[in-house]
Amino acid sequence: MILNIENINVHYGAIQALKDVSFNLNEGEIVTLIGANGAGKSTCLNTISGILHPTSGRVTFIDEEITNTSPQDIVKKHMIQVPEGRKIFASMSVWENLEMGAYIHSDRSQIKKRIDQVFERFPRLKERRNQPGGTLSGGEQQMLAISRGLMAEPRVLLLDEPSMGLAPILVEQIFDIIREINHNGTSILLVEQNALMALSIADRGYVLDSGKVVLEGKADDLLRNPMVIKAYLGGEAIGSEL
Amino acid sequence: MNTSLRKSIRPGATIGIVHIFFVLIGFNMLVAILFARVSGVKQPDAIPAPVYLMAYSITMGIWAGVAAAQKRKQEFRQVAFAGCVAGGFAGIMAGLLEFGLAIILVKNINVRDVLTVLSANFIKGTLFGMQPAMGVMVTVMLFALGGTLGGALVAFWNSTPFQAFLNRGIRFTKDSVQKAQGVTHGKNRLLWQIASISLLALAVVFLPLNWGSYWNYVLGTVGLYVVLGLGLNIAVGLSGQLVLGFIAFFAIGAYSMALLNAPLPYHLMWGFWPALVLGVLLAAVAGLLLGLPLMRLRGDYLAIVTLGFGEIIRILLKSDVLTAYTGGPRGIQNIGGPTIFGRPFVTDVDFMYLIIGAMLLAMFIYSRLQNSRTGRAWLAIREDETVARASGVNTVRYKLLALVIGAAFAGLAGAIFASRNQFTGPEEHSLMASINVLSLIIVGGLGSIPGTIMGAFALKGLPEILREFENYRLLAFGALLVAMMLSKPDGFIPSRRPKFQIPIQPETREAPKEQDHD
Ligand SMILES: Nc1ncnc2c1ncn2[C@@H]1O[C@H](COP(=O)(O)OP(=O)(O)OP(=O)(O)O)[C@@H](O)[C@H]1O
Ligand SMILES: [Mg+2]
Repeated sequence: MILNIENINVHYGAIQALKDVSFNLNEGEIVTLIGANGAGKSTCLNTISGILHPTSGRVTFIDEEITNTSPQDIVKKHMIQVPEGRKIFASMSVWENLEMGAYIHSDRSQIKKRIDQVFERFPRLKERRNQPGGTLSGGEQQMLAISRGLMAEPRVLLLDEPSMGLAPILVEQIFDIIREINHNGTSILLVEQNALMALSIADRGYVLDSGKVVLEGKADDLLRNPMVIKAYLGGEAIGSEL
Repeated sequence: MNTSLRKSIRPGATIGIVHIFFVLIGFNMLVAILFARVSGVKQPDAIPAPVYLMAYSITMGIWAGVAAAQKRKQEFRQVAFAGCVAGGFAGIMAGLLEFGLAIILVKNINVRDVLTVLSANFIKGTLFGMQPAMGVMVTVMLFALGGTLGGALVAFWNSTPFQAFLNRGIRFTKDSVQKAQGVTHGKNRLLWQIASISLLALAVVFLPLNWGSYWNYVLGTVGLYVVLGLGLNIAVGLSGQLVLGFIAFFAIGAYSMALLNAPLPYHLMWGFWPALVLGVLLAAVAGLLLGLPLMRLRGDYLAIVTLGFGEIIRILLKSDVLTAYTGGPRGIQNIGGPTIFGRPFVTDVDFMYLIIGAMLLAMFIYSRLQNSRTGRAWLAIREDETVARASGVNTVRYKLLALVIGAAFAGLAGAIFASRNQFTGPEEHSLMASINVLSLIIVGGLGSIPGTIMGAFALKGLPEILREFENYRLLAFGALLVAMMLSKPDGFIPSRRPKFQIPIQPETREAPKEQDHD
């Protein structure tokens, strides 16, 4: 098990956002967290990456407890979050954005090599390397955000709604990329509202509702689960037939 | 009425209204005084010679003419005529105003309770010292003349031969700049740098000697505000934290210098340098102490809390309780100056050198920080704190660092300021001073060194030089800020981060050329 979350409770002041949440991620897996708006998905990721700290419970990465570790130390352990909403540094160039992704590394030649690898995967970013990130299209920005995450050589990548606001064809592309990253050896925790897509590439899934894990299992089983179909796939099953 | 004429009358009316406003606040007299000064009159009277007021009228006319002639693609004569109409119309409005003023003058109506500038002498001056009817006529004529001139100017500017000439000029300048860059960036780069630095050094050494006391005083103040502005810029411009009560750190520097190096109240007399070092350190520590609880706050809250901090420091300094320790509202006097190589620094010239030194130091540290890993972290925090954290930037540490270094800069400026003026008091460190510093970095261009210098000069130097305009300073600030926000939303000299153009293959410089051959 590369990442293990045990009974975490997270509060925003008086509001409890996560209630006794437990889940885990094995080396080499794609695991998805699905749930409606406000279910607590981003809160989970922020707790894992050290931006939030739980009031109780444990987070373990490999064999080390990281419950109260700071975000920068977690980044140094090569667990990287790509925040939701295509967050990039708008006035920095594409190149500089990528350099920021490798902020914790100082080996220049290594960084350059990583950037070359990223450019190989995303030729579009290479063309736009001197352009401010803010002037990229939505899809390109999402690619840049993911690429920036890759710059830190992640062992675990925490992706927060990478398909948000993208056209269907781009969504397909992003999910292909995620699968490819996983094939190259990175374990992935994927937060999504697009349950159909997420479950179709994931090995396992957890369903979060109002801060609680209400369902968990193999992705294929969840795809057939009547409750999941009703609550999360109903609209999309119709949508996918169009 | 034909549309062409109407199009000319509208700008004329606008300028007419502006002129009326100017006269009612006495601004026309100030412009005339300025003209008199520029043309070499040493001590112009409150009401300068009529020639200068006429020059003012023509200037307003030119403004109207230029406004009317712009965007007109017509024959030279038509454009000039449009300018004449606009100027004439503004002139007629000016004339009507003067007619009214003349009535006030003749009937001896007292309007000065409301419009304080409208004294009899002022009205006579505005009428060029002529009979009312004559004055009105001359005004209209001058405005129309100015309008024609303005129109002609625009027409000439837009004419094909002139544009061609202009383009040639621009091309020539571009070429020369490129050639010059060849010199400054090629293998002669080092030589070039040495030459320009030594030239600058020569200027730095010899100019203050010839400036005289007054200029050294004014420019010394500007220099200290550059240091202060750079400090605030580290917090606001580089790391994106809106700090409002920034002058508090300046006050801490000033009071450290005062308490440690003045005969009263303690007679510690540590000497300038130890007091300076301690002042800078104390300001930095204050930055740290203020910063620690602030790290959870962002945006508006940060601004409000720092504003409160600034006011608390000022109120403490002047409070009765602390009068025995800080001198209370009266401040502290007879603060000592530095001694270098056994030579005491007393005059404004001496201090100018010290200030230039402080400025160079501040600029050096600032630019090194800006282009370092730290600068990159600050930029990331400014752009998006959450993503910066997700990228592994220790945001708390870097935000604190920005506050601490910024505060240290302010402490440095404050300590030198107190020592030079041999005085410091609580009212020097009021909220207005904080706002001044913030305005100067915004006007100049957030985050940029040349912008800070420009802003410090515009907001601290110009008001000194244009003493007559003192009463209009707030008006001028307002106008300046509005004009700037409209035309240059990023400030006069916006910060330009060094942008490295990354070639396709960064390792091989020839790569682009090879592509040309393909
Ligand atoms: N900074 C905050 N302060 C207070 N409450 C918050 C904060 N952030 C999130 N919450 C609350 O916590 C709950 C979970 O939010 P979270 O952002 O984790 O949801 P989510 O599942 O990511 O939703 P979405 O799909 O819309 O991104 C919500 O009820 C939200 O209102
Ligand atoms: Mg979310």
